[in-house]
Amino acid sequence: MMLSRAKPAVGGTPPPGDRRRKKGKKVPQLEELLALRDFTGAIALLEFKRHVGEQEEDADLWIGYSAFHLGDYKRALEEYEALTKQPDCNPDVWVNLACTYFFLGMYTQAEQAALKAPKSRLQNRLLFHLAHKFSDEKKLMSSHQNLQDITEDQLSLASIHYMRSHYQEAIDIYKRILLDNREYLALNVYVALCYYKLDYYDVSQEVLAVYLQQVPDSTIALNLKACNHFRLYNGKAAEAELKNLTDSASSSFEFGKELIKHNLVVFRGGEGALQVLPPLVDVIPEARLNLVIYYLRQDDVQEAYNLIKDLEPTAPQEYILKGVVNAALGQEMGSRDHLKIAQQFFQLVGESASECDTIPGRQCMSSCFFLLRQFGNVLIYLNSVKSYFYNDDTFNFNYAQAKAAMGNFSEAEEVFLLIQSEKIKNDFVYLSWLARCYIMNKKPQLAWKLYLKMETSGESFNLLQLIANDCYKMRQFYYSAKAFDVLERLDSNPEYWEGKRGACVGVFQMILAGREAKETLREVLHLLKSTGNSQVEYIVRIMKKWAKENRVPV
Amino acid sequence: MAERRALETRLVENQPYDESLDLPEAEEAGGAAGRPAGARSPRVGDAGRPRGSRRPGLPGAGGGAADPSSDEEGGGGKEEEAAAARSAPPAALSEDEEDDDDDSEEEDDSSETDSEDDSEEHGAALEGDFNLTDYDYLPVSSEIKELFEYIKRYTPKTIEIEHKLQPFIPDFIPAVGDIDAFLKVPRPDGKPDNLGLLVLDEPSTKQSDPTVLSLWLTENSKQHNVTQQIKVKSLENAEKNPKAIDSWIESISELHRCKPPATVHYTRPMPDIETLMQEWSPEFEELLGKVGLPTADMNCDLAEYIDMICAVLDIPVYKSRIQPLHVLFSLYSEFKNSQHFKPLAEGKKGRSPPSNPPSQAADAEALSFT
Repeated sequence: MMLSRAKPAVGGTPPPGDRRRKKGKKVPQLEELLALRDFTGAIALLEFKRHVGEQEEDADLWIGYSAFHLGDYKRALEEYEALTKQPDCNPDVWVNLACTYFFLGMYTQAEQAALKAPKSRLQNRLLFHLAHKFSDEKKLMSSHQNLQDITEDQLSLASIHYMRSHYQEAIDIYKRILLDNREYLALNVYVALCYYKLDYYDVSQEVLAVYLQQVPDSTIALNLKACNHFRLYNGKAAEAELKNLTDSASSSFEFGKELIKHNLVVFRGGEGALQVLPPLVDVIPEARLNLVIYYLRQDDVQEAYNLIKDLEPTAPQEYILKGVVNAALGQEMGSRDHLKIAQQFFQLVGESASECDTIPGRQCMSSCFFLLRQFGNVLIYLNSVKSYFYNDDTFNFNYAQAKAAMGNFSEAEEVFLLIQSEKIKNDFVYLSWLARCYIMNKKPQLAWKLYLKMETSGESFNLLQLIANDCYKMRQFYYSAKAFDVLERLDSNPEYWEGKRGACVGVFQMILAGREAKETLREVLHLLKSTGNSQVEYIVRIMKKWAKENRVPV
Repeated sequence: MAERRALETRLVENQPYDESLDLPEAEEAGGAAGRPAGARSPRVGDAGRPRGSRRPGLPGAGGGAADPSSDEEGGGGKEEEAAAARSAPPAALSEDEEDDDDDSEEEDDSSETDSEDDSEEHGAALEGDFNLTDYDYLPVSSEIKELFEYIKRYTPKTIEIEHKLQPFIPDFIPAVGDIDAFLKVPRPDGKPDNLGLLVLDEPSTKQSDPTVLSLWLTENSKQHNVTQQIKVKSLENAEKNPKAIDSWIESISELHRCKPPATVHYTRPMPDIETLMQEWSPEFEELLGKVGLPTADMNCDLAEYIDMICAVLDIPVYKSRIQPLHVLFSLYSEFKNSQHFKPLAEGKKGRSPPSNPPSQAADAEALSFT
């Protein structure tokens, strides 16, 4: 392994290309370019030589190699395809071609090409990953058994662990290899990626710093750093990190451009999502999810559903998002099926070992119980994450509903009133729960105000019924009477008269008990008289009689 | 907590309404009516919150599988309040939640841990159910008493209110990519490249510009007359990318600086620069001091102006003006760079040919072809 130290690739910053050119008139050699990982330069050099006829041995293979590591898989493909068509083609080229197909996402072709190559460790690793892509457990196992206890094979296995969200297993492999090979700096980045996925952003940063100290302009590492900053701080901090990266890159640098474009949308809170994300769907796995999130934020639930309905969830984020979309759609359409699916996804994530103690996991559990209408449990889960959601309208709306459902109207009212979103505040569910809270908290006049602000509609009619009946229960007869009065005028159902009659007499009783101002009697009489019922006469007479005896002006 | 106590007290005040059970609504409100006075305080706050003071970073103590508490962890996930949420075993989606506080590690589970269970399944348990006979004590006439019966004649309805789950929308998710799977093309010569081990298998951010590099290679190779077709890329949104333009100009001028100075083979005889730099006759100098050279403001077109200036400077103009202009700018450049004339020119304005911005000299150079 000491041999590897001869490679200058690691030692500090590679001298910037500019300086080389300023000083030396010397033409760079292929080895130098490769050591600097200047694959663009390597290709240009090889092409030039090919053109002037200074053909080096295996020039095509070298171009393929350079294009591959540059990330220009299409170019690599051209070279390898051309080579495999030659009659005296080295059979090893097939596995190169297969690798290239793999990175182009052409898995079937990759498998076909790989099977034409002679047996090799690389071929086995490739088949192993292909089996994973095809979800072919049988083939996966057989390739797995062929993996050996050598670094590359173990690293390939670790990568599968990572893709299957088995981050701890991956970390174990990396740490074991690092123990014997401290110089394998790149492994630190892999470990940092795992910690990132485990939500240990601090730890990820620490491990990552080891690598960045040596290779300060690494695209992958800087992007990860930006993502850590996004999680730890905010989008602005993250964007600043990415800017470091784009500033230092030369203009002919294409590697990771899509990733960076994608993440800029993320860091900017979805700005430019519709321009950037659609072409990246199925290229970057997160792009589809982010597009769904974008549509959800725009209240375009249907579009969000279309994008995600065929997604077979594997990662927690995917389950969560499917749950959220189904919950939104289910409520919008009143579909029990969607709500059931949503509840199951939420439960699956919320109960999982990896998510049960994360904020999203808790949100899932609370949503699950909310859909099951078990509000006591909803409160347990929401309380456990409350401090992270101060002033969050979504959280507060759910929280307040759960509190109200549990009969804690005074806190519910407080929380309802924290909500800022006009959309929620105009939601009938919000209005009716707030009205009920007001009534339960002995502020019926505020509930009545809510009604007055509404336009006449089926909903305002329902709110009237709520006020009329809840106030009646709470002996707030005055507002009950007012509400019944309007109800009676809108609908001749005798029930409303009975309610109004009871409520009016109720006000009278409260006046007698000294709990309502005597002057209210006048209004009560007025309310009664608006009904053309024979009983009115009788009630009014008794009330007036009392008023006269007690010198109450009516 | 104090606040909560206050709430309890208030609720206790309400209890008188609960005394009688012969209410029409009794079954529905039964839970509320039957509960012990004073015990009714919706439980709040005893659910442990997830640990970790930060956003989703709530590494799991109880998480089981995922517990990367290894040497590097640095206390990230150690501070522990028991996840009270675990205490409500969600696996059982039934309503028996009574005993779920037991394993909560919080100390203050004294008074608040009771009963959230009883009214759980039924929307709001309306508190205010009252006893309509409460006011029977009022000393009123039988007439009025009879009237009061109307209050009981109406049974207020329990209005169900819908619940609406406002689904939490997750944050946008940044992408970090996958981990190197070692599915990579090896070097054709079979030597180890250590990509993915010593360094990440990614191109460095400093990549050569292929066009510039090709020009360099052409320049350095012996075969100058190679007519290689060089692809010159174009730059989109050039106005937004001054950096790319600057670096292109820089690298091209670098290239030119390293080339041997451009020589132009004039097709017609031209005086050499040295001759042209000779002093004018004193009379002419004197005249120039009075009238000055014709400036570019003269009312003539560019071609005529070139002819005029070249004539003054003794540069012959043949059919094309390109070569005389080259001579002209070479002359200008020679004066400009001359140790002798530079201070002179700076001292007295207006002595040298009318102001040609120096950049034009550079342009002239750029025009030269081998």
